Amino acid sequence: MFFPRAMTEIELVVPSKDLLAVTKILSRRGVFHQADSNYPGVDTGAANTWQETAAAYAALERRLQLMMQTLGIEEGQPPSAEFEAVPEIETVRSAVDEIEAEVKRVSDQLSAEKKRLEQLQSDLRQLEPLAGVDADIGSLRGSGYLFSMLGQIPTANVDRLKTSLARVPHVFLILRSDSQKSVVWLTGSKNNADVLDRAARSAYLNPIALPTEYRGTPEKIIKNIHEAIQTTQQKISELNGELKKLAEARRERLQRLLWEVHASRVTADAIVRFGQLKHTYVIVGWVPTDDLEVLTQRLKQASKEILIQTVPISRAGHNQHVPVALFNNKWLKPFQMLVNTYARPRYGELDPTILMAFTFPLLYGAMFGDLGQGLVLFIMGLLMHNGKFLKSMKSLGLLIAYCGASAAIFGALYGSVFGFEGEHFYHTFGFEFHPLWISPLHEILKVALLAIDAGIVLLSLGFLLGIFNHIRSRDWAHLTFGHNGIVAFVLYLSFLGILGRLDLPVIPNLARALGTLPVPFTALGIVTGLGIMFSEVFRNLIEGHRPLIEGGIATYAIQAPMELFEVIISFLSNTFSYVRVGAFAVAHGGLSLAIFSLAGEEHDLGFWLTIIIGNLFIIGFEGLIVGIQTMRLHYYEFLGKFFTGGGMRFEPLTLTPSSEEG
Amino acid sequence: MASGVSGYAALNARVRAMYSSLLSPQDMLRLSEATDFPSLIALLKSTIYGSYLENLKEKELTPRRVLLQIKGRLADAYFSVIHMAPGHARPLLMQLYRYYEVGNLKAILRAIVTGPVAEGESSLWDQVSDVLFPMGSMSVLPARAMVEAGSVAAAVELLRGTRYEETLSFAMKRYSAEQNLFPLEVALDLNYWRQLWREAKRLSGLDREYATRVIGSLLDMNNLMWAIRYRVYHQLSEEELINYTLPFGYRVKDDDIRAIAAGADIAAVVGRIYPAITDINELLADPHRGLPLLEARLNRYLVKQCFATFTGNPFHIGIPLAFLILTNLEIEDLTILIEARSSQLPDEKFRPFLLKTAML
Repeated sequence: MFFPRAMTEIELVVPSKDLLAVTKILSRRGVFHQADSNYPGVDTGAANTWQETAAAYAALERRLQLMMQTLGIEEGQPPSAEFEAVPEIETVRSAVDEIEAEVKRVSDQLSAEKKRLEQLQSDLRQLEPLAGVDADIGSLRGSGYLFSMLGQIPTANVDRLKTSLARVPHVFLILRSDSQKSVVWLTGSKNNADVLDRAARSAYLNPIALPTEYRGTPEKIIKNIHEAIQTTQQKISELNGELKKLAEARRERLQRLLWEVHASRVTADAIVRFGQLKHTYVIVGWVPTDDLEVLTQRLKQASKEILIQTVPISRAGHNQHVPVALFNNKWLKPFQMLVNTYARPRYGELDPTILMAFTFPLLYGAMFGDLGQGLVLFIMGLLMHNGKFLKSMKSLGLLIAYCGASAAIFGALYGSVFGFEGEHFYHTFGFEFHPLWISPLHEILKVALLAIDAGIVLLSLGFLLGIFNHIRSRDWAHLTFGHNGIVAFVLYLSFLGILGRLDLPVIPNLARALGTLPVPFTALGIVTGLGIMFSEVFRNLIEGHRPLIEGGIATYAIQAPMELFEVIISFLSNTFSYVRVGAFAVAHGGLSLAIFSLAGEEHDLGFWLTIIIGNLFIIGFEGLIVGIQTMRLHYYEFLGKFFTGGGMRFEPLTLTPSSEEG
Repeated sequence: MASGVSGYAALNARVRAMYSSLLSPQDMLRLSEATDFPSLIALLKSTIYGSYLENLKEKELTPRRVLLQIKGRLADAYFSVIHMAPGHARPLLMQLYRYYEVGNLKAILRAIVTGPVAEGESSLWDQVSDVLFPMGSMSVLPARAMVEAGSVAAAVELLRGTRYEETLSFAMKRYSAEQNLFPLEVALDLNYWRQLWREAKRLSGLDREYATRVIGSLLDMNNLMWAIRYRVYHQLSEEELINYTLPFGYRVKDDDIRAIAAGADIAAVVGRIYPAITDINELLADPHRGLPLLEARLNRYLVKQCFATFTGNPFHIGIPLAFLILTNLEIEDLTILIEARSSQLPDEKFRPFLLKTAML
């Protein structure tokens, strides 16, 4: 749960005769993530044959899909009955050819008729603007003294064309226009024909090209075209009926063929990436360790002579090439989504989903503590999760419910119900409701210091998890001298210790407590500060990188103190960033007070309407802002301390695309 | 204001986080000091781009593959920003992202015209796929089918029902007559920038103000460079030049473009718009070297405009727009570096074009 699923690298040596049976198992179970077996010593010559097979099946698949699209048949679900691993391609091809010939005969006729209809309609559209012109079309086409161009132009280009002709005498008429294109007539003196033609061409004015058989007035031609359109539409309707009948007759066969071909293509695609020795195939990939036993059993049933070598992949060290499969716990899905938005964990790296499932609602609740509003959010979240409210935000339903529950708990701790607190509560409802813990509005400083303390705890946890991750990945350089490593953590603690010993009125409680410890924080701070200042040199030393200093001593001399300065500034800003948790808890009470002052003293209808609208505003507006702040604290302050991400997604071989986790 | 805060708060937080991971001028300087391609890659691996390169095997570390991988960062940035953006801002961000789709479309058409590769070499698709921007599911182009279609007309036919159909249907008539991709490319560009400007103008309030400022600055640079190139390189007539440019922008006005089209002194026009660029005459004396340098200078204006967006009220679309443009310019800097180092260009040939190091 704390890490991505344990993976085992699996290497199979399969006799050629069992290749298809084994591939079938690997590609149907959805647990095998294939790797390329194209490494030295493995002859992949036979891959070409399978490549051709895969290409042939892919072509057949495309043809089938096209046919089904033409016939309006949906792909359907994979058939429950097993089908042959890779059937003889010629058998399938002849079956496809046979149905395709039937479909093609009708669809070709249909396409031809549709094309004719399109042409007729296009001619009609071109002619309609000229319907009122009582002249032979031929006379508009040519003239002895005038340049004349009747054509279509993108409407967006019309103004530009006019601008470009500003210095040339011309007549430009828009005969018809819609948002996309306009029918226009451009004419001018033949002397300016070159300029007019260049301008028209560069504005993409395409001259109307009517077939020469169209003669007479536009009105007469339009009448003839209308008659031709009617005949063509009737033919199209008859052909569509024929296609519908064909679809009914061939539906099941086509669906079956499609899945058979699809499965064969997936199998062939997988085999292309297998390595081939003389009589055997080498298959390499990853399997989640939990699924390994069942898979190996199935593989052994499929091939008696198969050799299976498995190497469980340790989570320690660099394992960036190992695919990452996350646990798909439906209750944690919203947090997994938040983590994945930031980055996908690497294999071996701590998956912060569970941690976030705890800290996210905690910080949210602390900032938005109100029993009534929290319960409203909780119920709203559940309704959203069940698709009964705001369906489009279904994926956020659980997150809102968790945050609402936490806000309700903090509401009880703060003594706040729909903004009613202390005196207000007593005067309105006639009984007292005391905070179980603290009232943020009355103890502002205490709340702010508590928030910073919470920040110190979370940041320290972040540092410790970062150190833990570095140890697991054996990244010794960053473990010691990284910005989130041991030296940086000690510097952070020293920084807090020194702060705790200062005689200032406002010091975080944890810093003050740390300051009382008999530790030489100043000396530690100087030593670790120097460590951070020259961290690049130390890291290069540990990793064996040369040169130790890049860019010259002078540049480094400026850069190193700046690095220390930046780290200390980030300690300060990260720690004090959490003060917003307290600030929002106080602001929540303040916003409620503002609504009460708007509502007035009298408990009449106006008062309750204002309270209801005010609460809705707080839930919608403040609820959203607090959510963003919580996300910000996690993304900026917390996750960056220990979480790198960048893992490769686990994509098992399967007939149907896998659903993304989170 | 309220809608600005609630709409942009999360996006702003995410963009600020990503903004902090942009390479600094010092980082870029360090990268530019790499002596050869392998050492540049080694340095690049220690930056934010490291995670994009780690999946490449040693033999795959070719300039083309490396460029493809690092473009993944820009694609991720767009994906992240678009998905977190408030509904009313998405159309503009999506349209901005389509810049790469238009680029991919032009690359596909060029590849088809260049023709099939010689026997024994990798397929045309293999070659093209490496240079296409990795837009993933956000692209409507059936890229592979287009490349395999065999002809420009057949490839364009596959774009039926997409937003490119109408534009290309007009331009295809000219392509059929002239057998030159120029009209297709210009039509795609003009349509892209018109749509982008329209989306910017559809916004209201602060969003509209910042969008027209940032997008307008981007448009200025393109429009001005088009006008200059059409006149200097292509020697187009006044009416053609006007039809191939756009009448809007932030600093560059239609009168400026029309002046260039009518044959006015380019240096005077550019100098009036960008007074800080003082050596325009020298740059224009050798256009082949000078125009790319002029473009680099104009890019610096754009960078300044983008940085300026990050000061003041952060709850508007200017922040994500500026960030995406800065990320794109960073990738362009890296492209120059990678190509320069892999082809062993001397420093003086490429350094003047680097934007980041010019900020030092």
